[in-house]
Amino acid sequence: MKSYIRITLFAAVLTLVFTSCKKELTTAPTNAVSENQVYSSADNIETVLNGTWAYMNDTFFTYANPGYTTILRTSDAMGDDVAIITNKYGYRDAYQFTQANNQTRLNAMWTILYKVIDNCNNIIAKTDAASGSEDKKAQVKGQAYALRANSYLNLATYYQFSYLKDPQAKAVPLYTTPTVGSTEGKAKSSLEEVYQLITSDLNQAEKLLAGYSRPQASKFKINIDVVHGLQARTYLNMGNWALAAEKAAAARKNYPYMSSTAYYNGFNELSNEEWIWGHGQKPDQSNASYTFNFLDVSSSSSYYYSFMADPNFKTLFDDNDIRSKLFSWDGRPGREGYLRYAKFKFRADQTGDIVLMRASEMTLIQAEAAARNSDLTGAAGYLNDLRAARKANLFDVTGKSKEDVISAILIERRKELWGEGFSLSDILRTQTAVKRLSYNDAKGDPLQVSITTPDGTVKTVAAKQHTTLKFPDGSPFVPNSSYYLFNIPQSELNTNPNLSN
Amino acid sequence: MKLSLSIVLLLISFQFGYTQQTTTISGQVTENGSNLPLPGVSILIKGTKTGTVSNSEGQYKLNLPAGQQTLIFSFLGFESKELKVNGSSTLNVSLSTAANALNEVVVIAYGTAKRSNYAGSVSQIKSEQLDNRQVSNISSALQGLAPGVQSVSSSGQPGTTASIRIRGIGSINASSDPLYVVDGNPFSGDINSINVNDIASVSILKDAASSALYGSRGANGVIIVTTKSGKNSTDTQISANFSTGISRRAVKDYEQMSTDQYFESYWLALKNKQLTNGLTDARARSIASQNILTDLGINPYGANYPQPVGLDGKITAGAVPLWNDSWQKAMEQNALRTQADLSFSGGTDKTQYFISGGYLNDRGIALGSGYRRYNARVNLTTQAKNWLKTGLNISASNSKQDYPMSEDSNTANVINFSRSIPSFYPVYVRNDDGSYRLDANGQKIFDFGDYRPNAAIPRSNLAATVGLDKNEIFKDNVSARVFLEATILPELKLKTTYSGDYLNSNTNDYANPLLGESAETKGSISRSNTRTYSWTWNNILTYEKSFSEGHHLSLLAGQEMYKYNSKYLSGSRQRFGLPGLYEPDAAAQLNDFGGFSVDYTLLSFFGRAEYDYKNKYLLSASLRSDGSSRFSPQSRWGTFWSLGGSWRASKEDFLKDLPWLSNLTFRSSYGAQGNDNIGVYYAYEALYRINNNLGENGLVTSRLATPDLKWETNLNFNVGFDFGILKDRISGTVEYYNRRSKDLLYSKPKAPSTGFTAIDANIGALQNTGIEVQINAIPVQTTDFRWTVSLNASHNKNKITDLPQNNLISGNKLLRVGGTIYDFYLREWAGVNPANGDPLWYTDDANGHKVTTNNYTLAKQYVQPSALPYLVGGITNIFNYKQFELSALLSYSLGGKILDNDYVALMQNGSNPGAAWSTEMLSHWTPENPNTNVPRLTTDNLGWTQASTRFLYSATYARLKNVTIGYRLPKTLTDKIGLQNLKFTLSAENLLTFYGHKGMDPEQTVNGATYYRYPAIRTFSAGVNLTF
Repeated sequence: MKSYIRITLFAAVLTLVFTSCKKELTTAPTNAVSENQVYSSADNIETVLNGTWAYMNDTFFTYANPGYTTILRTSDAMGDDVAIITNKYGYRDAYQFTQANNQTRLNAMWTILYKVIDNCNNIIAKTDAASGSEDKKAQVKGQAYALRANSYLNLATYYQFSYLKDPQAKAVPLYTTPTVGSTEGKAKSSLEEVYQLITSDLNQAEKLLAGYSRPQASKFKINIDVVHGLQARTYLNMGNWALAAEKAAAARKNYPYMSSTAYYNGFNELSNEEWIWGHGQKPDQSNASYTFNFLDVSSSSSYYYSFMADPNFKTLFDDNDIRSKLFSWDGRPGREGYLRYAKFKFRADQTGDIVLMRASEMTLIQAEAAARNSDLTGAAGYLNDLRAARKANLFDVTGKSKEDVISAILIERRKELWGEGFSLSDILRTQTAVKRLSYNDAKGDPLQVSITTPDGTVKTVAAKQHTTLKFPDGSPFVPNSSYYLFNIPQSELNTNPNLSN
Repeated sequence: MKLSLSIVLLLISFQFGYTQQTTTISGQVTENGSNLPLPGVSILIKGTKTGTVSNSEGQYKLNLPAGQQTLIFSFLGFESKELKVNGSSTLNVSLSTAANALNEVVVIAYGTAKRSNYAGSVSQIKSEQLDNRQVSNISSALQGLAPGVQSVSSSGQPGTTASIRIRGIGSINASSDPLYVVDGNPFSGDINSINVNDIASVSILKDAASSALYGSRGANGVIIVTTKSGKNSTDTQISANFSTGISRRAVKDYEQMSTDQYFESYWLALKNKQLTNGLTDARARSIASQNILTDLGINPYGANYPQPVGLDGKITAGAVPLWNDSWQKAMEQNALRTQADLSFSGGTDKTQYFISGGYLNDRGIALGSGYRRYNARVNLTTQAKNWLKTGLNISASNSKQDYPMSEDSNTANVINFSRSIPSFYPVYVRNDDGSYRLDANGQKIFDFGDYRPNAAIPRSNLAATVGLDKNEIFKDNVSARVFLEATILPELKLKTTYSGDYLNSNTNDYANPLLGESAETKGSISRSNTRTYSWTWNNILTYEKSFSEGHHLSLLAGQEMYKYNSKYLSGSRQRFGLPGLYEPDAAAQLNDFGGFSVDYTLLSFFGRAEYDYKNKYLLSASLRSDGSSRFSPQSRWGTFWSLGGSWRASKEDFLKDLPWLSNLTFRSSYGAQGNDNIGVYYAYEALYRINNNLGENGLVTSRLATPDLKWETNLNFNVGFDFGILKDRISGTVEYYNRRSKDLLYSKPKAPSTGFTAIDANIGALQNTGIEVQINAIPVQTTDFRWTVSLNASHNKNKITDLPQNNLISGNKLLRVGGTIYDFYLREWAGVNPANGDPLWYTDDANGHKVTTNNYTLAKQYVQPSALPYLVGGITNIFNYKQFELSALLSYSLGGKILDNDYVALMQNGSNPGAAWSTEMLSHWTPENPNTNVPRLTTDNLGWTQASTRFLYSATYARLKNVTIGYRLPKTLTDKIGLQNLKFTLSAENLLTFYGHKGMDPEQTVNGATYYRYPAIRTFSAGVNLTF
């Protein structure tokens, strides 16, 4: 071949090469979208709300920390009525008040709450400018306000003592605008400031969601009833009894008490008529269901079944109470003598919906608010309303002091809301101490109970009971102990120099 | 057949020897330089199979048939010589040693160069150094062979690769992995797919001059793998290798307590807890004795001893454990390793070929683990026209890795599982008297331990289920490189190369529906598939011309485009109706289905100029510009460059006549390379991750916008010299480098309360300085015996030189100016309080004085030594005695620390009943034993197993990586049976390990963290290698 042909060939190749497009250098992800595509329309913004909700509930930090349920389980593990099996994975450090050593958990809870806050801040800040109907915008923004309030309410509840103890106590940092690259960690605000934001957010949500009608099957979405429920909880924390009662009444008006049959169904169905708010689960979205491995003490597929009941808890129920039928002494190998309270059960597909708010909690808020406002008859009325629904013996208010009535209502909260995440928050809110009793005879030996092993043998064994009766330093349980508070994780302390400013 | 043919040929030559016209040729073979006679040299008449061997005085005598005038002299370790007889009857020959580093051709970026006049820093490993190794992939073979290379095999699981760090760690968050280049083009396939026996050489490019031409991706060094090619020879050379061996753990696991020790210790923990609860001593004792069995869930002493630990805290008299089962043994298997390779090579003037096929089956030591690979390769080049050359290298491999979980804290981790369960929990179901319970067929029944406490992993028996479950990774890798090279003018060449790497990786995780954890849910299956295809197309123009008076110029200009696409799919189902069905269709419930894909593009333009004068002075310069799709359009282009020079001083007149100096070359270079490998592919926009919720679309914030994020740059200075003395009996290289990384790609931690834990940023600068020494020597060389020693040592000092904010804490490490990137930052262990047995750590009081505290959260983190070693390297010794060869490779790593979190799992203070206990826990605090390093026992978590300097151990170790004894049949014998070469070998991999902290395999990750890894394995094998 002549050299000029070679040179032509060579030139042709080079031309081909250098025209190869630079536009190839722009690529796009397939499992994420760029922010500027998100905030164009209210419909798109609603996807952020959905995604945030899924993040909050279904993010595993470890198996012991599945999403938002982590906070609920921790709250119960640190209370009076759950006697955690301490050789089981999961919540033993919470139970033993050594959770400060569990950075993974501290980090999980903190991250979940604040990630939700930042996503809500984005929605709140960017919805007005987006296209879409005003109704849709109001709905999305209202839900974002309420969800943000829920995060801050958790933070205010668990990271500082009661608002009623000291509203000026520094609690947690407040963020109300979207985080950008230059955003720095903020200083802690006082409880008063945090509660101001929560009440104002909930007021906004109340207005914005007035016209929103939630699809029946989507109880994981926030509607006005959920907002009222959150308001009731907030005002109860703040000691505003009248508003607490009013909002609680508003929250539950569309939700009758569940039937006895439904009570035995395992607390795993969003469709339960009494549930105001919850989170749905499906086989392909089941991380939150992992919490049933701790809560579910009766299904054979439950992996840890560590949330056993304190035997003293059983004595709080009378025999007519439908709830008392959920107790049984475990007879299976390795767990003989544990007291099961079979309230929570997996569904057949190993999932279970998560309960977040029920009508009976609202009734009890009404009762407590009335009692604290010295309306003892009113309080007893609400209390018995619920007791009747559970076919339990009614409370006779005659001759009872205000303290007696309040005490009865708080006990009813423990009985009705067991395993739903209210134990520690009630202890902190009411500024009382954890009460854990032993279950022994006069000699100090564990009481004996009768169990049936899987092969049908009946035998008598020592009842399993609380194993942690004191703080780790050996001191007795006292009110307002810093052992009750959630610690801010080391990762925040390391990266936020402003925190304590 | 071959044998009989040879005999016939021999007979013919003897028979007709006297009748034909023959001449006799004789002479002596000596070693060049020493003039010592060389015995055993093979002397062959070219084109025949006739020949002889020199005697002990190096003399030979041979009958030369008419017309046969050329003799080939060859001897192991020496360069072969082909000489014409030219009618004389005497021919004395001197042979030079082959290992003449000076004339070595090294493979460099986009070409080759002669070592003697190359400005860059390159270490080359040749195939002979890899021949005896029982390793499955090249990354595991590099340890100790080349200076400047830190190779860490953190997993002994067959089929895994080692991490390679060249000249230290150059990045904090961006990848520090080197770039692999195979046969000229960047390789994105599975490095495991390359058969080590197919490799002709491995070049490690370490400085700017050598690697800047791979600018965009050369920041962490470049490893160039060149596979074997055919040679111009009349006969096809056939080579076969076979080896088989057996593997064991290289080091023993941590020592654990006996059953008696365990029960007495746990009793004490229970008692102490009751004392904390305020009970009297007597009550506490009684409760401890009562509760111990329920807590531990088993009574290994049998029903006759219902309270095996008495109120005195001692095992009741007469009680003996009825069994003592080793879970480790139950979780081990016969680990056989078999490798077989066959290759054909040959060619003509115009066309050369190399064809190979290989088989490897490496069963690991852990039950259910293994690696099986088939691979094939064809390398072909042909001179199509006098101006046009073309070639194709294609390789394909198929592998299956059985990879039961390891390197995970999950209880299904086969390594961790076998360590976690104390020996008093039986592997097989026992009767109360300790005898085995048998099923209807008289078989032992696996004990799944429903009764075991959580720490001892109840409802699980991996010894039973690993065989029933499947954890498989199937990989298919096809790599092709095709080139066309046109000579446009004699000096001007254009080469276009296209390479494609296809990798399909398919995982199958099947949990059986019959036994174990998954039985309740009737089993499950999850599958995933990652299909990766990447291609590189480059076009390179070279111009090379020698001018009069010794000037020589070589120019290169080119363009390259790289595209990477990876598609991932996964799905899972559960609920199998019947056993024996293993495919997803057989499971009733769909759990999950998902997938995504990733694209990455690089576009590059580059050029290089080299000039040398009389092979004495050399200058080189290169420039490369890269655009990366990872960065925003305004900051995606980075420009990288290098300058280098070398001076061959030994060629100067004033050194030329020094009789002892055979070579002295000085080299230096400086330049910049880039790194864009931040771990994510889209690093500029604010992103929302898709996170759907219950059938509705969902998004959640995942990344903050970083429009200005740009390339990380490595500025690399290198200076060094090569020397050879006493005719290269001693030769070596000494180099100093200073590698400065700036604009580090770093995930800068943010306060989690902002909703983000980090933001990508170009922050800070890092420096690696180091000295590398490589010395090769032949201390002894006699006629029968030769000792070769090769030693390398690398010292690297890693230092952070700039950070936007001082003291960035990342987990257990602290980043600070002046420190290394792996400085541990831990709470400092202050021992055990002799008064009460509490663990103590240090903290600072208000006046800044160091005081102790028993509250871990109040303890302060202090800077600790780095995880990085200060000296790594290796020593290779080879002894040849007649036909025997003994070689040994010792690799070492001195300095550095490891935080042993694996050990921590065996060190709980009683808060985790049923967890295996290390024997060290026996030295726990008691009032009688107040001065100890282990706190008191109690069932409260004292928090003492949290990260602290208590569990920081020295990472220094040395490992005898390989010892091989080989025997090569004498040439005279192999000739008779028609073979060119026959060699038998016995070899041991990881034969001995020298280290301090018993139980921990010292070869952990580069950053000094343990993570329940598969330990290194020791392999003994026997092999045969023949060529004909």
